[in-house]
Amino acid sequence: MTRNTTGTRAERADMLRETAREIRLLILDMIHTANSGHPGGSLSAADIMTALHFDIMRTNPSRPRWPERDRVLLSKGHACPVLYACLAKRGYFGLNELKTLRRFESILQGHPIHKTPGVDMTTGSLGHGLSIGVGMALEARLAGRDSQVYVILGDGELNEGHVWEAAMAANKFRLGNLVAIVDRNGLQMDGPCETVMPMGDIAAKFAAFGWTTLKIDGHDMEEILEALETARDHTAGPLCIVARTVKGKGVSYMENVCEWHGKCPDSEQFCCALDEIKGA
Amino acid sequence: MNETNLKKATIPTRRAFSERMVEYAHVNTDFAVMEADIGGSTYTNLFGRAHPERYFNMGIAEGNMVSAASGMAADGRPVVVSSYGVFLTMRAVESVRTFICYPNLNVKFLSSHGGLTAAIDGVTHQATEDIAFMTTLPNMKVLVPADTAAARQALDLALETPGPVFVRLMRDPLFDIYDASTQFHVGGSHQLREGRDITIVSYGDIVFQALQAAEVLAAEGIGAEVIDMYSVKPFDAARLTASLAKTGALLVAENHQARNGLGYELAAWCLKNNPVPFANLGLDDTFAESGDYQKLLGKYGFSADWIVRAAKEIIGRKEGRAC
Repeated sequence: MTRNTTGTRAERADMLRETAREIRLLILDMIHTANSGHPGGSLSAADIMTALHFDIMRTNPSRPRWPERDRVLLSKGHACPVLYACLAKRGYFGLNELKTLRRFESILQGHPIHKTPGVDMTTGSLGHGLSIGVGMALEARLAGRDSQVYVILGDGELNEGHVWEAAMAANKFRLGNLVAIVDRNGLQMDGPCETVMPMGDIAAKFAAFGWTTLKIDGHDMEEILEALETARDHTAGPLCIVARTVKGKGVSYMENVCEWHGKCPDSEQFCCALDEIKGA
Repeated sequence: MNETNLKKATIPTRRAFSERMVEYAHVNTDFAVMEADIGGSTYTNLFGRAHPERYFNMGIAEGNMVSAASGMAADGRPVVVSSYGVFLTMRAVESVRTFICYPNLNVKFLSSHGGLTAAIDGVTHQATEDIAFMTTLPNMKVLVPADTAAARQALDLALETPGPVFVRLMRDPLFDIYDASTQFHVGGSHQLREGRDITIVSYGDIVFQALQAAEVLAAEGIGAEVIDMYSVKPFDAARLTASLAKTGALLVAENHQARNGLGYELAAWCLKNNPVPFANLGLDDTFAESGDYQKLLGKYGFSADWIVRAAKEIIGRKEGRAC
């Protein structure tokens, strides 16, 4: 139920790496079954989301709306297969539900919605998640709860001016319970971020807005844990983790290839992907 | 012209709403208020002074304000967000739609400077499409108080009604129509004048224009039934049914684009349920301009004079058809 802190960081990282492998398998299976979805950005966020859901966050799958829980907002909502995989594996709903992704009347919509158990809020129209996180962090403070609010942002998503309005507000209110994690995979839908809309040094930008920043390798489980623990202990103001990641991480033919942003693998590609992840 | 005996209020509806908000905060100690650097203009700063811990100036960033309100409301706290109608309903419209109306969250919109009451500020500050945007959104309820008493009650109604509620308020003082004991409810309306010849439906500041027009019409022997449709969504279909059964003619006048306002809503309803000779007055597919409020109403076609003219034209059609 609560934050898991048993074992050394290295031991926890070992377990989480295995969990992340299972999450990646579920992501691919889900998207392949749906014949639709976004594998690239789901796989790049898989290690971060695994660390949050299976170690860092205080949650209770039998009480999805437990007020004292930590919140996570997948602002880059198109990567919802990673969220759904984590939620199913944590027991918010059955693993069999994953087969219904994007289907008529499924609880697993094409982008996350508030009605799905374990989803803290509707997200996926890019640029809004950090603002929603600001509201939730303000509310936690007003209500006297020590809940943390984690917001997972895409790097392409940072093109939205709305994100920077939220960054200003988080600084103004010194929201020490708000953590932004940028999945810096370097690719967006039409091409490399630096070609579509150069964001430059993202950590420097957040720092200029008054945030504390950390830069990590978003696939190194020990680094992820260390950064998230630092963030949890940091209460002086908002903190941003810029996680360097690889879009499509774990599937060689998807890695750093832009077209796998929103493409479904065919059966042969699917089998090959499973083999690679199982063997990795 | 003021053919009625009504007196102009000393304060605008935006202020009446915010003053009631301060009082209501003693009854409901939960709700928070967010504003976008116009707390002095919307008078939400009165709440801020009384309850600084629940008052948030989110800066000149309406989109973030509304999405942040959704986050707070998603975790259980009602939030009043405040700004001018143009910004609240257009700059932030996606936040309103996807993050408040879709999850049906308890966020209330204090939307000032409705219609051409921001007269001197010009087009950039005149919310003349707000009703179209807000009534189109599922789960949204829309209230437009016609005077200070109605504005005070609108605050209570907004906070006591689950889900999103949009309240359109005015920059300048309106004429007092109601006394403090008048009751209002979501989906309700008030018949302010009885008549047999035509039903005139309006809301907000234009109710006064309709009342003036009815006086003029009465002097010519024409009985106009005047309805204040303060609950624009949902609207009071029962009242409309009863009134049209008697008058058989409908005129809608509003301080808004004629397209996609209450006029269009009621026209569609009539076509489906009870076709009658009909006309609607509002901005005729145009933007307005800076200037004196009364002159603008005259130039853009929804002052009392225009209502009189349109009413006679509709009645002519009705009688022509009856022959």
